[in-house]
Amino acid sequence: MNAIPCLTIEDVATLDGVLAEFLKKAEAELTVVIDRGGNVISQFGDMTVMDVTIIAALAAGSFAATKELARRIGEVEFNALYHQGNGNHIFMNSVDDDTIMITVFGCRTTVGLVRFYSASTAQNVGILLKSLSREGHGFSFNASDVVGASVFSEN
Amino acid sequence: MSIINYASREIQFKIVYYGPALCGKTTNLGYIHRRINPQNRGDLVSLATAADRTLFFDFLPLNAVVIKGFVTKFQLYTVPGQVIYNATRQLVLRSVDGVVFVADSQWEKMEENVESFSNLEDNLAKQNISLDEIPYVLQYNKRDLENVAPLNYLEYVLNNRKKRVQSFEVVSSTGQNVFASLNAVSQILLHKFSQQSEAPKSSPAPVVVPVPAPALQREGNQV
Repeated sequence: MNAIPCLTIEDVATLDGVLAEFLKKAEAELTVVIDRGGNVISQFGDMTVMDVTIIAALAAGSFAATKELARRIGEVEFNALYHQGNGNHIFMNSVDDDTIMITVFGCRTTVGLVRFYSASTAQNVGILLKSLSREGHGFSFNASDVVGASVFSEN
Repeated sequence: MSIINYASREIQFKIVYYGPALCGKTTNLGYIHRRINPQNRGDLVSLATAADRTLFFDFLPLNAVVIKGFVTKFQLYTVPGQVIYNATRQLVLRSVDGVVFVADSQWEKMEENVESFSNLEDNLAKQNISLDEIPYVLQYNKRDLENVAPLNYLEYVLNNRKKRVQSFEVVSSTGQNVFASLNAVSQILLHKFSQQSEAPKSSPAPVVVPVPAPALQREGNQV
């Protein structure tokens, strides 16, 4: 917990703008930016049909697991992964060493179109994330409010 | 690595349940999933073998206390305990904020406990994290069995570092002290988080100069 990325309202608005434009061009349903530990950094699109938190955790695991597979054929990692379903598909591409971008899309578009626009979007997202404040999150609270109280309650 | 989002007013944390094979990590998550208010949890995802041994990880997302209007979200993971899955354990430990080390109290499991604890230290070190810096608690699980080591022996073996941490006698199958240990590590984590709250530099949001997508030729792009 040494460097805490802090997403301000302005950061999120900028990121949403980039992702919204991508979704429109690629005609995809949902895009999620996650760190490689499985934490959701940003999301945009139709989130009603799926649990984004779980998709993020599984996608991070899937990306990490195939890294070893890539090494076996002399690659550092696979830059992109594609999971093809019958009606819905997932495309994942690397943003930088710490971040992955996931795109969920249906039959309105093609993996080629998603891949095409995701490359430039990933670059833009990468630029934005590099500039996030990691100096201090500025969110202060009295620790005694939490210590002593139950964070989780058992039914 | 916790993430704070001022737009959605959320703070995310990652807690990993670590320990030797069959010590009760998945049972911990299963109990928490059953007993927490369904409105505060997502689905429990288990990537397990046909014999119910954890292959990759178990995952349980939880919403916890609201602090100053910010929802705290905790993501609980378990690692596969079997020795051969060390690469997977390293992956799951990535960006970890807190650890619950689950030890099996049975005498014959003592060597595996020590090995797993040392493996945790090594895997954290690979991420440049020291066990002394990261919030963690110890669970001495399976206290309901007959052949368990006494508490002071377990403390001597596993909690003998310069800085001693909180430890709990646990029976994960019945839920004894499962929530107590989760609450303890969460409180330490939040306490540490509150100490890292220097004011952010009030810089404006960066201007993203869009990287233009190259010209698209539709006919050749269908896959």
